[in-house]
Amino acid sequence: MRGHLRRALPDLARVSFAGIVAYRAEMVIWILSTLLPLVMLALWSAVAREGPVAGYDEAGFVRYFAITLVVRQLTSVWLVWALNEDIRTGRLSIWLLKPMHPLVQHAIDMVVAIPLRALVLVPIVGTLLLLRPDLWRTPSPAEVALFAVATAVAWLLNFLVQALFATLSFWIDKSDALFGVWFAAWSLLSGYLVPLSLFPPGVRPVLAALPFRGMLGLPVEILGGFLPLREAVVQVGVQAAWLVALLGAVRWVWAVGVRRYGAFGA
Amino acid sequence: MRSGPVRWAQVAAGLVRVSLSAAMQYRADFVMDAVTGVVRAVAAVVPLVLLFDHRDTVAGWTEGEVTLVVGLFFLMQGLLSVLVEPNLGEIVEAIRTGSLDFVLLKPADAQLLVSLRRVDPGPVWTLLAALGLVAWSVARMPPPSPADVAAAAVLLLAGMAAMYGLWLMAICASFWFVRVDNLRFLLWAVTDAGRWPLDVFARWVQVGLLVVVPVGLLTTFPAMALRGTWTGGTVAFGVGVGLAFLAVSRAAWRAALASYTSASS
Amino acid sequence: MIELRALRKVYRVPEKDPGLLGSLRSFWHRRYRDVVAVDGIDLDVAAGERVGFLGPNGAGKTTTLKMLTGLVHPTSGSATVAGARPQDRDPDFLRAVTLVMGQKQQLLWDLPATDTFLLNRALFDLDHATWSRTVEELVAELDLSSFLDRPVRNLSLGQRMRCELAAALLHRPRVLFLDEPTIGLDVEVQAAVRRFVRRWNELHGATVVLTSHDMNDVAALADRIVIIDQGVLRFDGSIDALHARFGAGRRVVVRGTEQALSGLGFEADGPRASDGSGRWQRTVPAREVNPLLQEVLARLPTAEVTVADPPLEEVLTRAFGAAREGRA
Repeated sequence: MRGHLRRALPDLARVSFAGIVAYRAEMVIWILSTLLPLVMLALWSAVAREGPVAGYDEAGFVRYFAITLVVRQLTSVWLVWALNEDIRTGRLSIWLLKPMHPLVQHAIDMVVAIPLRALVLVPIVGTLLLLRPDLWRTPSPAEVALFAVATAVAWLLNFLVQALFATLSFWIDKSDALFGVWFAAWSLLSGYLVPLSLFPPGVRPVLAALPFRGMLGLPVEILGGFLPLREAVVQVGVQAAWLVALLGAVRWVWAVGVRRYGAFGA
Repeated sequence: MRSGPVRWAQVAAGLVRVSLSAAMQYRADFVMDAVTGVVRAVAAVVPLVLLFDHRDTVAGWTEGEVTLVVGLFFLMQGLLSVLVEPNLGEIVEAIRTGSLDFVLLKPADAQLLVSLRRVDPGPVWTLLAALGLVAWSVARMPPPSPADVAAAAVLLLAGMAAMYGLWLMAICASFWFVRVDNLRFLLWAVTDAGRWPLDVFARWVQVGLLVVVPVGLLTTFPAMALRGTWTGGTVAFGVGVGLAFLAVSRAAWRAALASYTSASS
Repeated sequence: MIELRALRKVYRVPEKDPGLLGSLRSFWHRRYRDVVAVDGIDLDVAAGERVGFLGPNGAGKTTTLKMLTGLVHPTSGSATVAGARPQDRDPDFLRAVTLVMGQKQQLLWDLPATDTFLLNRALFDLDHATWSRTVEELVAELDLSSFLDRPVRNLSLGQRMRCELAAALLHRPRVLFLDEPTIGLDVEVQAAVRRFVRRWNELHGATVVLTSHDMNDVAALADRIVIIDQGVLRFDGSIDALHARFGAGRRVVVRGTEQALSGLGFEADGPRASDGSGRWQRTVPAREVNPLLQEVLARLPTAEVTVADPPLEEVLTRAFGAAREGRA
């Protein structure tokens, strides 16, 4: 099985890439639609103009949300919609007849899209740095390494959470509504709308233990230098623990769900 | 046959009934939409609570006033997603498959039918949450005068008309470019900027949010009316933009219909 | 190759009263109804056979096919295909079968068909040499070369179906399941698809099981016909056996006038001319054919007379009718 995946990977990636190229216009619109960090940036930098808030000065906020924009692009997946579509149209039946897990194909589709996302980000970030050279901060090699790990794990966490929600389509008619609830909570608790260190001290340990931070805020804080390295390592550990838990959950729910799909008519 | 507003109301009521019936089928969604509405409102307000722990005002706006803008923002999102948004996806599909022919053959104004073809009752909860936010914010502000309330109502209507016009123009664009449905993601993303008072943005962004994507008209302007920082000029400007969007979108609709060739295959 | 024992499938479907009130009621309290789609089917198919499932819409053909491919899990009974239990979805089983659905497609919509072939090479872990040999063969047999590089969305329905077949056969499955393979295709493409499947079966010995409501599909492709109605197997045998059992005789067609044939029980077959002449037909049991012919020739010595099997549609209508009566 493992050998099969290794041999298949180049072809799978090639076909996925052809798909990305075919949908490039739509992809670029999608990428440009992730403007919320910039909207939040406007609010918080207006606030910080009158003085720093919880250690963030104006440049700090701009840097935080600029990195948020980047990490959001690098870790975003659309599995809920892709899998819902597969189930609605019955295409899942076709994927289930292939001797490879349908999620593998979707995962490769989404990984292959990352270079295109990066391509769109480069001019945006470049312009920002040209206008505001004071935003640049040279990260240490340890920070860069930890950032890479945390971003990769964040991608996986996002993928697995969406897999979990998408699998619920086997039971409920439109699980994307349920995912909407999760997303609203996620946007608040992951650091997408507010840096988590602005929360009251009593709440912060709870946020650090939940999976949300590891899905976005953690890599942002690491690269922006908002988190001491020692603490960052502990948080990557929390991320890894959630990764293991989610892997188990997805495997189990998927197996039960496919059985149910078969029971109710594929 | 009756005509005018009565008939329009009948057509609209019929469409709402059918849509409600369809939506009830998805009962899990119905509950989910309620939860989503509340969670989204909470997620939008908590950052403000955190912010006003550290500050009394932002760009000259108090906590109650900023919350009011957020409430109005959700009101706009709710109205758009109940009444306007569902139809964009529908119309793109109808053009692609040629089923728009059936709409055009119905004895009612095609623009009305296209605009109200489908009503999605799910976000009704967003609307309720939004009204709650607005009421809560107004209660925490100095009470507005009757004139303030009237001005706010007029600006709200004008803003809604302008946003409807914008969405209709997007629908019209799909007559020429069938793959335009992705544009609505971008449209939604841009309206996100309406959730804060315009004063936090740079000048050019403010202008854009008033006359290009007129979301500020629907959120910041009514809030200005309710806090009493408005003049006759504010209202006149708002009404002017609203009417302009309605007129341009109506013209775009006419042009789109004229160029419509039903899919024949 | 295929073994079905008392195979049964019952679906639970939610019920709803019409209208808004009904929606509200089912919102609070959802009622379910059991629908028996397949009601105990026993069947054995040997390797290399070509079997056609016939039956009206909703008879349980497609559900049976989906149980045979492991997509739908049986409620009770058992299925064995290529030595495996389909619903276990064992990789070796998946490599041994393929499913072509006339109404659904596996081709990637916005990419050329070659990309789907490439994808299937990866998914089925085919070695490069075998894969390219199979592609070559399929492209030649199905005459795909002129449109292989065009995005699938720009292909005609017939071209798309031919590419579908190629994509489904790349891994050289031992069992082909075809669900309404010619639906919506024009007559020429239908014939081409049938010819190809038949040839593939003869060349490679792959077992073919197809469902169709198009009699011509089944008549042209299958040596063995299985009639399923209301989830029950009604008939299993050759076309000749089907005629013998449900055909209820032979069909006699005569050219002549109404007066000359009066009293012989003929019915008009097509329009008549103003003098009452035209084609007349009557279906009679085999042993009555000769007496009837003698009577006709006595009255019209030079008449043009033909004797043939009744059309398959007619036979099937009878078969389904008999099935219903048997049940009542």
